[in-house]
Amino acid sequence: MMSVPSVQIAKDRLHDLLNADRLKCTPDMTEKLSADIYYALSKYIEVRRENFDLRITRSDIHIKYTGEKD
Amino acid sequence: MGEVIVITSGKGGVGKTTTTANIGVGLAQAGKKVIVIDTDLGLRNLDVVMGLENKIVYNLVDVIEGNCRVKQALIRDKRFAELYLLPSAQTRDKSSVSPEQMQKLVSELKSEFDYILLDCPAGIEQGFQNAIAGADRAVIVTTPEVSAIRDADRIIGLLETRGIKKNALIINRLRIDMVQKGDMMSVEDVTEILAIPLIGVIPDDEQIVIATNQGEPIIGTDSLSGHAYDHICRRLLGEEIPIPDFSRPDGLFSRIRRMLGKK
Repeated sequence: MMSVPSVQIAKDRLHDLLNADRLKCTPDMTEKLSADIYYALSKYIEVRRENFDLRITRSDIHIKYTGEKD
Repeated sequence: MGEVIVITSGKGGVGKTTTTANIGVGLAQAGKKVIVIDTDLGLRNLDVVMGLENKIVYNLVDVIEGNCRVKQALIRDKRFAELYLLPSAQTRDKSSVSPEQMQKLVSELKSEFDYILLDCPAGIEQGFQNAIAGADRAVIVTTPEVSAIRDADRIIGLLETRGIKKNALIINRLRIDMVQKGDMMSVEDVTEILAIPLIGVIPDDEQIVIATNQGEPIIGTDSLSGHAYDHICRRLLGEEIPIPDFSRPDGLFSRIRRMLGKK
């Protein structure tokens, strides 16, 4: 039987855990934060869901709102 | 003036003590005068990993409390004249030492030694605060697991808050076969998440278990992990050695593996 590679699951779980740890809040709060920032941004500039990304590091919060690559 | 390096991880059991012992030996082999200090009060281990457990007379708490002079508590390594161990106290707890006392001790040792390595206890409580109090830089040990990486991230955040910004990462117990199958996070995955400079990758190696059973260092032996620790020490000393590519079957790592008769 073929097993499903588990790395992506580990990375996704870590992503949520670290966001919550870094902001000292619960995982659903980081999702709400992301949704609120998206909403705030959309009031002023043209932004699309698929291009929007919120990245939380230990010291900064990065907002990406275009489809451009890093 | 010596440099104080704390070896820390957050999570227990990821290889801090083994790493401290082997880096200590490696730096001593390179001709440096080195002291390794076990700061895990109540759970003494570094002496056992180094095979020096029968030589303990005084310990870290005795030194702090003034029951003996520092020199009386130091244990000289079996093989390396320039490597010393200051053991922890088995029967005392974390509150026996304060961060201020640790800071004072390591700053005194700086004039005597080239490198002062502090083996940090697991956790983020007083034992951790003590260990990082006098540190100039940190080596963070992690394994490619969710829990260990999560704790490492927390520890790096705390170190940065304390002004310890010269941090380097060791990824321990990497299993190349599992990475290739997509069942273990790769070196790139881990370094991307933790975003601090990588100073070494140590493959999961049964030779380490054997060496630890014997109370012997792995560095200096012809093994995958021995070579990995050797590279880490040389990088600490400022040499630029590239990290081997662990993702390619034809990479240096896989070639060494085959040379050593590993599958």
